[in-house]
Amino acid sequence: MDARLRRVNKEITDCKNDKTSKIRVELVDNSPFHLIGSFLGPEGTPYEGGHFEVDIVIPDSYPFQPVKMKFITKVYHPNVSSASGAICLDILKDAWSPVLTLKSTLISLQSLLCSPEPNDPQDAEVAKHYMTSRASFEETAKYWTHIYAGGPGATKGAKVVTATDSASLDEVVMAGLEKAHVDKFEALGFDRSKVIDVLRRLNYRGANVAKLNDDRIVEELLR
Amino acid sequence: MSSDYELSDNEYYDEDDDEMMYEDDDGSASEMDVDFKITPSAKPKSYEIEYESLTQPQVEKLITQDVEDISGIFGVEPDVASLLLRHFNWNKERLIEKYMDNATAVSVAAGLALPEKAEPSSSRSRSTGSSLGLGIRRATRRNTAEQPKSGKTKILERVSPPADDQPFVCPICFDDSQTKTLSLSCEHKFCSECWNTYVTSKIRTEAEHWITCMAEDCKLVATDEFVKSALKDDAKTFARFQELVVRQFVSCNKNLKYCPYPSCTHTVSCPAGASKSALTTIVPIVSCGANASHKFCFGCAIDADHRPVVCGVAKMWLQKCQDDSETANWIKSNTKECSKCQSTIEKNGGCNHMTCKKCKYEFCWVCMGPWTEHGTAWYSCNRYDEKASIDARDAQSRSRASLERYLHYYNRWANHEQSAKLSVELYAKTERKMEEMQITSDMTWIEVQFMKKAMDEVFKCRMTLKWTYAMAYYLAKNNQKELFEDNQRDLERAVEELSELIESSIDPESALALRQKVTDKTVYVQKRNEIMLEDTANGYLEERWNWNIAVDGFDEPAEIAI
Ligand SMILES: [Zn+2]
Ligand SMILES: [Zn+2]
Ligand SMILES: [Zn+2]
Ligand SMILES: [Zn+2]
Ligand SMILES: [Zn+2]
Ligand SMILES: [Zn+2]
Repeated sequence: MDARLRRVNKEITDCKNDKTSKIRVELVDNSPFHLIGSFLGPEGTPYEGGHFEVDIVIPDSYPFQPVKMKFITKVYHPNVSSASGAICLDILKDAWSPVLTLKSTLISLQSLLCSPEPNDPQDAEVAKHYMTSRASFEETAKYWTHIYAGGPGATKGAKVVTATDSASLDEVVMAGLEKAHVDKFEALGFDRSKVIDVLRRLNYRGANVAKLNDDRIVEELLR
Repeated sequence: MSSDYELSDNEYYDEDDDEMMYEDDDGSASEMDVDFKITPSAKPKSYEIEYESLTQPQVEKLITQDVEDISGIFGVEPDVASLLLRHFNWNKERLIEKYMDNATAVSVAAGLALPEKAEPSSSRSRSTGSSLGLGIRRATRRNTAEQPKSGKTKILERVSPPADDQPFVCPICFDDSQTKTLSLSCEHKFCSECWNTYVTSKIRTEAEHWITCMAEDCKLVATDEFVKSALKDDAKTFARFQELVVRQFVSCNKNLKYCPYPSCTHTVSCPAGASKSALTTIVPIVSCGANASHKFCFGCAIDADHRPVVCGVAKMWLQKCQDDSETANWIKSNTKECSKCQSTIEKNGGCNHMTCKKCKYEFCWVCMGPWTEHGTAWYSCNRYDEKASIDARDAQSRSRASLERYLHYYNRWANHEQSAKLSVELYAKTERKMEEMQITSDMTWIEVQFMKKAMDEVFKCRMTLKWTYAMAYYLAKNNQKELFEDNQRDLERAVEELSELIESSIDPESALALRQKVTDKTVYVQKRNEIMLEDTANGYLEERWNWNIAVDGFDEPAEIAI
């Protein structure tokens, strides 16, 4: 049997047999080279209670080149792109070693959720939020976990919201902003979604609010 | 090249290593200088620079010298010396200094020895925040709860726990039938098949010569001998590995540059063009010994002969062309309308003397003006009429004038490039013509070579002309610029005439006369090109050229014109 196939099959079996770590991998379209991995958000973090899915592609040169992974579930985290799910983690790049496995890599992703590295961000806006106001960041991350990963706070039997039916979402909480701030600029006659967009981009949070005067915001809104 | 830099060992490099190779100006003896004896040839022209081409074995000899030196001084195996040098980017002096200071620490940092047991492998503390500006790596964020990372055996246990009496199971491929295993001195055993695939993939896919152990967090690096044994009989991949080592050596030595042409393995040594300050007085164009057409600039990243314009200005021009490519795109198009009858004319040769098929109007492809004016003494297709821009009063017309000024130069630049390309396509046509001449006239094969020679000359001169427009665009308007443009005009006119001669049809009777004409013209064109290059080169030495924009290494311009 082809060495890559043998190795991947064994890794999949290992994951199936391991009941303690709660790491799962499922096949997509019956191919062992395209998988969906999943794990639970770590306790004591804003991701607690969430169920996170990861798209896994095994390259031809596996395990000598790293697996390709990205989040399917939307995650609010400095090292994960809030738009594409792309992940910034060294072992998925140059720190990869052929002895690392799907399971150990997924566990590393899980632990990445515990310890963000805002100085080496994948998503610069999220990282700024994290650096400016930790409490506000955690609130937003929690809300995302609730909305996208089925985390606590969800009403009974609440369905996990997909990106497409976002009408019912609270856009202000989603963007990690304060309602009063958004209302204030909306009252000046600007479109609400534009206000949210600009305030998010300028990181209008915490101590930054005092640094950004209203003229600066209006100037940006007028662009 | 990750591992060379990834380090960690700020403590070893107390100076700014990332700039050690290229920053020291005016050839002040850098530690990396290598003495190459350059065989004195005929005195070079003022637009030529002295250099020497080296084959890969010749460079390997230089490498062996360094390796043997270090091996002798430290009393280590040549393979170990080679890795130490590679780790220190071939900076012998610094290696000796650091090694004498603390051989153990250097060996650990260079991946030759395992860190002391007591010292926890602290990938976190050493990589975060350290920025040598190169290949910054940060701490691994692996789960520490499940597997405390404290050493090599843990990894083997985790992936596949082998009981002592069980046969060896490779922790990578999970194959228990593999009997042959390999490991570095860290004793991380893997089957030879996995090593083979891994080493091949590092060399072939990642172009990496620094091959570390496959175990997680193990920094031990493979010696040449180990690489060879892992590759088994794959001589081709091993040769590629050796080439990668040579490339690193060359890139670490400011007097050397690797030939940029695909799959060429030659190196050029050019100490005279290695310092930044030399680049204001000469354009260090070199070619490798493998092929005379492998021309490139030793001073910058342009893989072509960009004489007569100096590197800094050439780079600025290319950047401008890239930024303005959309506005200028229309010029590149191969078709234009005849300014008399508006029928579409397609350019299919290198000559700029166009004749409309429909109305027989003769005109210049570049300026669309009547050709008759171009044959006379007041040929001025190369000169931009600055008067128009002086007249411009308001900002809008000034910006239009500035665009027109740029387009004037860009137009001619792009045209020479395109014409040169088209003349390459004309080669086949010319060759047919040459055969034809051998049949219809009494000329021998040797005697018809004048056509090929003429074509080569036209190509070469169009390249010169092309870059003269980049230069003229940035030259401050003064007498010197006028003289420059006179030379440019003379060369351009001669080239157009020769180009036209090459493309003219031949009848048997006039073949001999044509040959004479082409030969004479070729000599003349050659002379004009020489004058153009020589005068510009002398101008740099005499500091005659003033720019209308700030150029690195030159005096500030008196007034900015653009
Ligand atoms: Zn193996
Ligand atoms: Zn090892
Ligand atoms: Zn070459
Ligand atoms: Zn150059
Ligand atoms: Zn016409
Ligand atoms: Zn013209």
